[in-house]
Amino acid sequence: MSVLFYVGAVLIVIGALCDLFGALGLLRFPNFYVRMHAATVGIIGGAAVPLFGVALLALGADFLHHRYAIAGASFITGVIVLLASPAGSHALAYAAHKAKLVQRPEIDHLAEVRGDD
Amino acid sequence: MTYAVVSLGIFGDGTGIRPLGEFYLENSYFGDYSAKSPEVVTSILWDYRGVDTLFETAVFFLAIIGSLTVFRLTKEQEKEVKKAEKAPTELTPIVKDVTKVIVVMILAVSASIALHGHLTPGGGFQGGSALAVAPLLIIAAYSKYTLEENGLDKTRALILRSIGLLGIALTALVPLLTGGFIMQNQPIFPAELDGQLIGGSLIYYNFFEFLAVGAGFTAVFLLLAIPEEKFKKILGVKK
Repeated sequence: MSVLFYVGAVLIVIGALCDLFGALGLLRFPNFYVRMHAATVGIIGGAAVPLFGVALLALGADFLHHRYAIAGASFITGVIVLLASPAGSHALAYAAHKAKLVQRPEIDHLAEVRGDD
Repeated sequence: MTYAVVSLGIFGDGTGIRPLGEFYLENSYFGDYSAKSPEVVTSILWDYRGVDTLFETAVFFLAIIGSLTVFRLTKEQEKEVKKAEKAPTELTPIVKDVTKVIVVMILAVSASIALHGHLTPGGGFQGGSALAVAPLLIIAAYSKYTLEENGLDKTRALILRSIGLLGIALTALVPLLTGGFIMQNQPIFPAELDGQLIGGSLIYYNFFEFLAVGAGFTAVFLLLAIPEEKFKKILGVKK
């Protein structure tokens, strides 16, 4: 078991913590946009980071069969999550702002930039 | 209580594997008539229960044909449906650019799931389902019309689906020519090609199933993406 194994394990623990904080934020934060921040902490920190952790852990585990396949699959999945999640939350926030479904937050930079409001 | 006794009786013989499971494990990779597939699930699905899987595929195709029938349109109505009424509202450049990258990645990953089906968990159906996510994402981020302008319309999807179905049928029937049984794998199909394990007929089944399932789902998604206003216009529904 090499250093990679331990780094991977630490990343997985960080992921679990991020998931916990994301869930807490989702429950406690006041409005939609701030809650979206908590949700993305849960996705990037709680899904992408542990997936990279699994990749490192698999690379470091010498006793594991097919460890390169496991590492590769985890890495690709992590990259896809890393790309897709910001785009998805961006689309959600944009749609919510455009439809004016959410109670207006105090600071609205997008409306300022566009000059509507 | 009875259940506990029975299950203890089954699992109490020391190995933890039932005789049937042992038979499958030994014969899917080590046996004289095996396809040398280390992935036992694929081996069981196509080699031992091939007819069953073939019928499952048939059920899927009946479902697709059913939805195509429900949404059937005449030639003129097809043309009407393909014409974008107004410029469709599109998502932001961020979403569109990310979709471009992810669609390519999904194509690669789904092909890998399907074509490694005889070596690793996965297979044609799973790979095809993953493949169908790519056109779905394009429909969501761009529009149905973008997909059709770039050459993937319902007819093309149906042709691809038919090629897949034909491939599965041919792979199942080829052993008959050499006096074998339907869907027989060894020794009609080679287990190795150029020193690479291809699992006999498994890779052909997986590839054609991949094509058929992916294209079938795409055809249904294209149908479901037709805007409601179009249907109301075609059917003459008054507001």
